[in-house]
Amino acid sequence: MVGVNKLREMYEQMVTAREYEQRLQEAYLEGKEPAFDISAGPIPGELHLAAGHEASAAGVCAHLRVEDTVTAPHRPHHIAIAKGVDLDRMTAEIFGRETGLCKGKGGHMHLFDPDVNFACSGIIAQGCPPAVGAAMAADKRNEDAVAVAFLGEGAVDQGAFLESLNLAAVQNLPVVFVVEDNDWAISMPQPRITDVKTTAQRADGFDMPGIRVDHDDAIAVYEAAGDAIGRARDGNGPTLLDVQVHRRMGHFMGDPQTYRPEDDQERAKRHDSIERLAEDLREHGVDDDELAEIRDRAEQHVADAIEWAREQPEPDPEAAHEDVFVDEPTAASGGDD
Amino acid sequence: MTTAIDSAAVWPDDAEEVEEGVVSNWFVREGGHVEAGETVCEIQIEKVSVDVPAPESGTLVERTVGENEEFRRGDVLGRIETES
Amino acid sequence: MAKTESDPGTAGADRELTMSRAMVDAIASEMHADEEVFYMGEDVQDYGGIFDSTQGLLEEFDRDRVMDVPISETAYVGAAVGAAQAGMRPIAEIMFTDFVGVCLDQVYNQMAKNTYMSGSAVNVPMVLTTAVGGTYNDAAQHSQTLYGLFAHLPGMKVVVPSTAYDAKGLMHAAVRDDDPVVYMFHKRLMGIGWMPAPEGPKTPVPEDDYTIPIGEADVKREGSDVTVVTLGLHVHRALEAADELSGDVDVEVVDLQSLVPMDTQTVVESVEKTGRLVVVDEDYQSYGVTGEVTARVAERTPDALEAVERVAVPDVPIPYSRPLENEVNPQVGDVVEAVESVT
Repeated sequence: MVGVNKLREMYEQMVTAREYEQRLQEAYLEGKEPAFDISAGPIPGELHLAAGHEASAAGVCAHLRVEDTVTAPHRPHHIAIAKGVDLDRMTAEIFGRETGLCKGKGGHMHLFDPDVNFACSGIIAQGCPPAVGAAMAADKRNEDAVAVAFLGEGAVDQGAFLESLNLAAVQNLPVVFVVEDNDWAISMPQPRITDVKTTAQRADGFDMPGIRVDHDDAIAVYEAAGDAIGRARDGNGPTLLDVQVHRRMGHFMGDPQTYRPEDDQERAKRHDSIERLAEDLREHGVDDDELAEIRDRAEQHVADAIEWAREQPEPDPEAAHEDVFVDEPTAASGGDD
Repeated sequence: MTTAIDSAAVWPDDAEEVEEGVVSNWFVREGGHVEAGETVCEIQIEKVSVDVPAPESGTLVERTVGENEEFRRGDVLGRIETES
Repeated sequence: MAKTESDPGTAGADRELTMSRAMVDAIASEMHADEEVFYMGEDVQDYGGIFDSTQGLLEEFDRDRVMDVPISETAYVGAAVGAAQAGMRPIAEIMFTDFVGVCLDQVYNQMAKNTYMSGSAVNVPMVLTTAVGGTYNDAAQHSQTLYGLFAHLPGMKVVVPSTAYDAKGLMHAAVRDDDPVVYMFHKRLMGIGWMPAPEGPKTPVPEDDYTIPIGEADVKREGSDVTVVTLGLHVHRALEAADELSGDVDVEVVDLQSLVPMDTQTVVESVEKTGRLVVVDEDYQSYGVTGEVTARVAERTPDALEAVERVAVPDVPIPYSRPLENEVNPQVGDVVEAVESVT
């Protein structure tokens, strides 16, 4: 059973995440129009936004502590927000600024915040093995920390994922794998590329529980995640969570989604986990004024972070040669030793 | 007084029918000091490698069977001049 | 280059060890000193490593510190990355370097890049050990060294010991390093019963811990006529060639020991002395170690360099049949010929 305060927290995280993706979308498109030029504007490169995925991150991270490790894929912002990543420095990183989390060297797909044990990676499914490793470290140190690896349903056919399930199971490690199933691996619908009916079924082959959570229900995610994370903390091994979400925007910014039927896009927009959680909160006696207050606070938080990020300086070009190795701040490139 | 390093004493149980071996590695030079129990050489019997411990502490005065040389079960592998 | 202070020298060491035993000696010592150091790989528990890399460790440590893993390189190499980022010091083994293909992403995109991509917010203090090399007819997918591949991709240190003494010193250094170190040990040098080593890799090895700094080369033989720069197995083939040529040509043999960072200075000083450079490498010729060493010398001291010859595996997959493999893997005679061609 989830308390109303926890629900408020989750709602705020989800609203913040949705607001963040929408404001980032606007910032991203600056300078890129009329003809889309991917390298132009204050946020160049690729951007993968998670509007519609919020419930999965909020419901899972509600059970996590600072010392628990989270790895995320290339669509990470909602997860970072739910894990407590510093929003100002994350935003500065996405804007490529010197005071970003990674001094501008990682960008949106490679955000690292060791203060809250969060990292994301741009290679599909490759966040799974390091999450298993973090669980292995907790296990060896006899700590009750857990690790969570987030991935998309398109990643479940990658060797890294399948190998990680087996390694976690055979060593009984405290790791939870959270698949965010939004039906689309860029333009490929799930049934075209994967044979099992549900991702949760995959768990059977690895001797671990597989739990499917239906669309849009943050409380259902919370409950399933509570079971899974509790199991891990108690030393009972890994779980696979298969969370249904909607992808409200394209795969990446600039994706025209011509492959996606109109009614599928419409359905994604109609079913909103944030609206549903608001309903749940009303049932718990939270009034609309309070909900509006939370939304205002979220909007302000996001606006402040983006404003702060825009003011940050760009990195000095010379800095490109640094941070290859920890003990040699200048990289040994081209023979300088 | 010298003590012999005896190949029969370290012969593996599952090589009962085998009579030959090879010294694959010596780990101490002639004139070098050894402690009792320290691995002094390695012998190879078919596919099996066996570490041979020094039976006593002292100085390895002779590598009777050299590296990569064959020997028969029961041959002396080397000699140790003991301390006392 | 003189041996540094951390290196107590071999004087007085009564025991001589094979390269595998020296490597295990260092691993065991580091594991005793620090609980956070652990070893994982395929067949490393009861088997002691296919190439003897963990021989005897299970007698001293539990199975949670010497771990057999499933045949899942991506998972366990990646797990090492994750455990290292959590502050542990894992040593993960890829059984044959040729298998890096199945987990290359975790190696070059994660292990090697996370420090940089995070702006040093995280670091990855792990060691990746791997067996390299041919000479025993294991053909194209099991005989490579791939020195150039690992050295070329930024973000990982790379060391290649050629003797037992070097193997122990470099392993201590690798485990203590706060960055990822790829430790490439040559199968033929390990002293394995079923793959006898040549003369040379078995050396006196001190009992106490010592480190060989990563990024330093070692002049294994001083000479004044020709500089032969090489690594791994071919250090010994070069020394043999030097012995053969003794009296005719005075050969200096420089053992690189580290590919990343590379000790360019020692190589340059040697060529400034001799004027003639031969680079010998058991990796494919094009886009690799021989080209890199030659380019660095040419950039730094073009006037001193009078002649250069590269001796490497040609750009062909390594063949199975003995005469064919011997044709592609540089032999002592090939080194002798190369030296003669530059004098």
